[in-house]
Order: sequence, then C-alpha cells, then structure tokens
Amino acid sequence: MSETRVERDVVQLSAKHLSRDFTSRVPGRFVSARQVTHAVDDVSLDLVAGRVVAVVGESGSGKSVLARMLARIVRPTSGALALRGTPIPARAKRDLAYASMVQLVLQDPFASVNPVHRIRHSLERPLLIHGAERTQVGELASAVLKRVSLDSSDRFLDRYPHELSGGQLQRVSIARALCVKPKVLLADEPISMLDVSVRLGILNLLKGLCDDENLAVLYITHDIASARYLADETIVMYAGQVVEQSHGTALVDAPTHPYTQLLIASVPDPSDPTAVSARDASLRIPASASAGCRFAPRCPDAMARCASESPPAFEVRPGHFSRCWLNENDRVATLVAPLTRRKGEPTTT
Amino acid sequence: MSATIPREVQSTAAEGGRASTGPVRDGAIRESVLEINHFSVDYGAGENMVRAVSDVTLRLERSRVLGIAGESGSGKSTLVYAMTRLLRSPGLISGGEVILHVTDEGGAVTPVNLVTATESELRRVRWSHVSIVLQSALSALNPVLRIGREFDEVLKTHRPNLTKAQRRARAEELLRMVGLSGDRLERFPHELSGGQRQRVMIAVALALDPELVVMDEPTTALDVVTQREIIGELSTLRAQFGFAMIFITHDLSLLVELADEIAVMYAGSIVERAGARELYESPRHPYTLGLLNSFPPLHGERRELTGIPGTPPDLADPPTGCSFAPRCAFAMERCVLEKPTLVEVDDTGRSVACWLFDDASGSRVPVELSRVAPRAEAPKGGS
Ligand SMILES: Nc1ncnc2c1ncn2[C@@H]1O[C@H](COP(=O)(O)OP(=O)(O)OP(=O)(O)O)[C@@H](O)[C@H]1O
Ligand SMILES: Nc1ncnc2c1ncn2[C@@H]1O[C@H](COP(=O)(O)OP(=O)(O)OP(=O)(O)O)[C@@H](O)[C@H]1O
Ligand SMILES: [Mg+2]
Ligand SMILES: [Mg+2]
Repeated sequence: MSETRVERDVVQLSAKHLSRDFTSRVPGRFVSARQVTHAVDDVSLDLVAGRVVAVVGESGSGKSVLARMLARIVRPTSGALALRGTPIPARAKRDLAYASMVQLVLQDPFASVNPVHRIRHSLERPLLIHGAERTQVGELASAVLKRVSLDSSDRFLDRYPHELSGGQLQRVSIARALCVKPKVLLADEPISMLDVSVRLGILNLLKGLCDDENLAVLYITHDIASARYLADETIVMYAGQVVEQSHGTALVDAPTHPYTQLLIASVPDPSDPTAVSARDASLRIPASASAGCRFAPRCPDAMARCASESPPAFEVRPGHFSRCWLNENDRVATLVAPLTRRKGEPTTT
Repeated sequence: MSATIPREVQSTAAEGGRASTGPVRDGAIRESVLEINHFSVDYGAGENMVRAVSDVTLRLERSRVLGIAGESGSGKSTLVYAMTRLLRSPGLISGGEVILHVTDEGGAVTPVNLVTATESELRRVRWSHVSIVLQSALSALNPVLRIGREFDEVLKTHRPNLTKAQRRARAEELLRMVGLSGDRLERFPHELSGGQRQRVMIAVALALDPELVVMDEPTTALDVVTQREIIGELSTLRAQFGFAMIFITHDLSLLVELADEIAVMYAGSIVERAGARELYESPRHPYTLGLLNSFPPLHGERRELTGIPGTPPDLADPPTGCSFAPRCAFAMERCVLEKPTLVEVDDTGRSVACWLFDDASGSRVPVELSRVAPRAEAPKGGS
C-alpha cells in the first residue's frame, strides 16, 4: 500500500466556480414554459490529502449534483476541475485514469452493490478493469476488506449482498471504491440509510482512511452534527449556493448565517434543555428564484435589501465565509466574491 | 363491553376537545389510555418462526407521550402494527393483551381488548379512538386520489351525518391545523413535498379527535428543519387536544425532547423503560448507553466515539441468554446463560432488563451506568 501514501496537504482535486443548470418544461395552459433550476451555482472547493471536507444542506440543495460533477458523471454547465494541479479539459470524457483517482460512494449500499454476484465479484471486477493481474486479485480483494475492518476470509468473500447487514455492505462498497487506490473519495450520504449503531463505525472508518492513508475525502450529509464530528472544513449549501464555510468546528460552534443557525437549532439536542424551537421557516422557495438572497423568503432576519440584492461571501473570521448581508460589517477582509456570478472571474476563496 | 353511541359531530376543532374529561392537571393520578401486557408477535411458524416482539408490557397514561426507540429490526413497527391489529400474514399475535380505554361521548370509559376485538369493534375504535401514522406514510397516500378524498373517506364512514360541505370545511380546518392551506385538498400527492405529505397524514390521523395517536417514524425521511417544524406542530396540537401519543424513532435524542417516557427495544424485547430525562441523564442498560453514545454531539471537545460494536442478533436464531450479551462491554458469564427480565430498579418507576442490576449477580454496576438520576420533571405539553 506504500504507493498510496502521498504528501499531506497536497490539493488532490480542485473545483473552481462549478455550476450546473437543469432546464425543465413546465406545461402551461397555452404554451409550456422553460424553467431553469440552478442546481449548483458557482461552487469552488479544494479536496486535500488527509483532510475531510463536509458538505451539509437540506434535500434538493445540490449536494449530489456537486458530487457527481466532481466524479465527472455529470457535466458542469460552467466551471473547471483540476486533478493534482492538471486542468481537466471541459469536453473530455471521464476516463479510466480519472475514475481510478476519484471514486464515488453512494447512499444506498443495497442499490450500489450488485445483488446477484458474490462480494468477491464486486471487488475483483474493478481490480481487473483497472489492470490488476488475475492471479493477484484474490489477495488484493481480501487486503482491501481488511482496510475497512471486515472479515477478509474466503467465507466472507463468497457471501451475497443480501447476507450482509447494511453497515457491512456499506463497508463493502467503500472497499470497492478503495480497490483502485483512489486519491479522492466522494461519499454521498454514506450513513443516512444505515442504522444508528453502525453509523459511527463508518464515520470512524472514513476518518481513519484520511489520517492513515492520506485520502482526500468529501463527506456529504444532511446531519450537521456528523459533519462537526468528522470534518476539517465544512460547507453549508442552500439552493445550490455555498452560504457558509469554515474550518474545524467553528461553523457549528459559531454560525453566522441564518440558514446555518436554523439548521443547528433544528437538530434535536437533549444536552441543551433550554434550546428554543427553531424559528418559523416554513415557506419554501424554488431553487430558481433569482434576484436577491435565495434564503430571504424563509429567513427570520430578512431585510428589505435581501429581496433585491444577492449577498456576496463575507469573510467574517479568517477562513470563515458567510453569504449574508448581516455579516457585511463583521467582515475581517474585503469582499472575496463577486456580487453576482461572473463566469471565469477568479476569487480569492 | 357496553355499546357506545358514536360521538356527535363537532363543528369546530376547538370544541372538538374532550371537554368531558378535560386535560389532566399535573400531579393528579392519571388514568391509563393503553395497557399492553405480555404481548408477543411471531412471523411464520415452525422452524422458520421468528419472534419479533417478545413479552412486551407497557402502560401509557392519558395525554402523555411514550417514545419507542431501538435500531432497525428491533420490532418497533411490528409492535404497533400488531397492537392496532393491522399486522398482516405471516405475522401472528402469539400471546398477551392490549387494552385500550375508550372514552365515549358521555365520558364513560370502557376497556377494549384489541387482541380479541371483532372486526366491527375494531372499526368503531380505529380513527375515532386510536389512529396510526405508518412508517411508509410517504407512500401511503393513494397517488391517483386528490388529498381531499383521504379526508372524505374517513369522515364519510365515521361521521355519516356530515354533509359534503361540512366534510370539506372540516378537512380544510384539519389542514390548517398542520400548517397547510386548504387549497391543498385539490392537489395530488406527487404535487406535495415529503414534509407536506407527512403533514397530511397527521391531519387525517387527527380527523376524528382520537385519544391515542401512534406515529411510526413520521419524520425519519425528512430533513431536520422540516422535522423540527412537524415536531413543533405536534406539541401545539397535543396541548390543544390532549391526545396521548406513541412515537417511534431510532433517534433517541429526538425522543428525549419529545417524550415523557421512553421504552428502548432490542431484538424484540424492551430492555429499559424510564422517564425521558432520567433515561438520557442516567442510562442503566448498556444498550441504552451505547445508543446515546452513537450520536455525535453539537457542542464540546471533539473526541472519538465508538457507538455499539457488532450487529443485532439474527432473530431466527437468538442467543440463549441476554440478546445484547454478544455486543455488551459489561457482559458476565450469567448473561450468556440466562435471559434477564424487565424489573423495576428504582423508585422513579424505571425498569431495566439487565443482570448488572440484580443483587444475586454479585456484580458491581459500572460507573457509566450508575449516574444519579435527576428528579422527575413535570410532563411536557398537554396542560
Ligand atoms: N437530472 C436532473 N434533472 C433535472 N433536475 C435535477 C436533476 N438532478 C438534480 N436535479 C435538481 O437539482 C437540485 C439539486 O438536487 P440534488 O440531488 O443535488 O440534491 P441533494 O442536495 O443531493 O438532495 P438530497 O439530500 O435529497 O439527496 C434539485 O432541485 C433537483 O430536483
Ligand atoms: N413479513 C415478515 N416476515 C418475516 N420476518 C419479518 C417480517 N416483517 C418483519 N420481520 C422481522 O421482524 C423483525 C422486526 O421488524 P420491524 O419492522 O418491526 O422492525 P423495526 O424496529 O420497525 O425496524 P425499522 O427501524 O427498520 O423500521 C425484523 O427482524 C424483521 O426482519
Ligand atoms: Mg443527494
Ligand atoms: Mg419500523
């Protein structure tokens, strides 16, 4: 495994201004209208060896579309990717080399591991595709099972997916992703379908892969407490945009954006019996609302300006960004992002 | 069992409250609304038989909230399906009784054993006295029917003297109670979000002002913000109408906030039952402790948590002794040989099924499991 060791702090995968729009037809009485959804809107992030970046947001906020763009399964409408400093040509197809560097693990292990094949097959197939010797795949498969703390015996390898628990199967799907020795692991809600008692095991496994093998991990979740537990950097998405971003536990410990505050206040927290119930935010807006802050219609602190002007990201503390007009005067630095999205313009984030 | 006249139709939700009994004042001895005694449920028969619910005994007082927690497969859904006689084959009630104390219009209370009740007795009791929001509620709404029809079906059967316009008015009122506008009645389920559909199911469950509402993971499929809104609405509604509630979830932190009492299930049995705050502050069963340690906290130093090692037992081939013993850090020899039963361990009414608390075991209770219990709190909501 020594060749998987890479230097810490190396930027493995870098995304700049990634956006993805979806156009759908809305049937009207006379003519059908075209509705554009900005599923992901101008998101930039770096995935660094040995670090976990968490992306938190509610259903429909664009987390999966972002992960799929990073895996190059979904093509961005605009923006650029660079793998270990090398720009990825926008029009090029995802090749085997990219796939072996960047692997995606999905939410539902029962849907992502083929039910008709033994575990052995699911692990050996990617190895063969990525050029391993047929005589060695058996050994490699049991080695990778050991890395995810599973029984690596032939008995286990010969089991079928339905003979495993959800937690075991999710470990198998992580093992399968690790087979090809990726530098980047994109985990899209890897624990949300699993039982409470096995979730921590998976989180600790991801942390271990990061610490011991210098993997760069993207951890997508709607559970902000698990992001605080695991992540070196946390990004909160709302309606396709990054609304707040910070390092360590700062984002949860001192949130500045009203949406992050709402998310945190909504988490059941028995350790705080005085916790006030979340403020009313029952209004829902489509992700296509354009002018102004996207959260404004639900925001308990919205001001007149919020409906008409979209806030930029303010740096409220070093390395802590918040896309909210309330933070305009708290900022430690100058504006770091353009007021409205201008394609191709670099930011200092 | 005395025959009861269907309750008169009430014109508004505010009058719909059970004025005859009224909300019970704190401190008063509360009557039970539900008593479950030695209740067991099996799937299949013979060699392939699985005992999914094993000798469960529980009591729920009027206007209180009982939370049931436990990991996947522990038998939570089976318990409430069987209890309300909605269990389908190959599920079979193999023992015990479920007594629902039904209050009629005049305020007279009649016990009904749901296990032996006939179909017609069940029809009279369901929706009017006990209603249930199923785990699969997100797909429980009929996709080809407008939302309004769901209300119509229930109101038509149980309130036959309502006119069409009155049914419509009642349905709109129910939707408003759960924070939806009346025009949603014209919508089809696919036109609503998951949270909105869940609210519709809750509104239907409350349509006939039942005294007990059973909710099987009503918020698990929703995001935390929506979950928080629905929990908030439920406590407002409970304060207004005073129904008792059984709330099932695997999220113990949510229950600590919401429930008066919590029962923790493991492999078909109740392993601990205590007041919500007591259970959280001073867990006694090693499994409860494990569950509580499975949630990363929102505050404090970041430190590694371990959760619960291993996986739940195969119910088709359960271990001889305590079913948690193979995963338990405190297991003793006795635990592997004998199955502990649920016994009261202190004067707060807490019960635990664990040999650590049996003097005959001669064991010392580990510090993690001997924290001092806080004093009992006033019940939440409902006053
Ligand atoms: N193929 C597609 N065509 C049209 N719209 C899409 C498509 N994929 C995603 N979207 C839209 O993009 C938005 C973001 O979706 P995405 O799946 O990324 O959300 P998410 O944050 O992963 O949510 P969840 O927590 O439910 O998984 C949604 O509004 C969704 O409806
Ligand atoms: N139709 C069935 N036939 C055989 N066994 C069943 C059947 N339905 C459920 N079981 C078993 O009964 C046990 C209890 O299942 P149940 O659905 O009640 O669990 P639960 O606690 O509600 O779990 P979850 O949190 O996943 O909803 C499980 O071990 C399950 O495998
Ligand atoms: Mg997703
Ligand atoms: Mg269930």
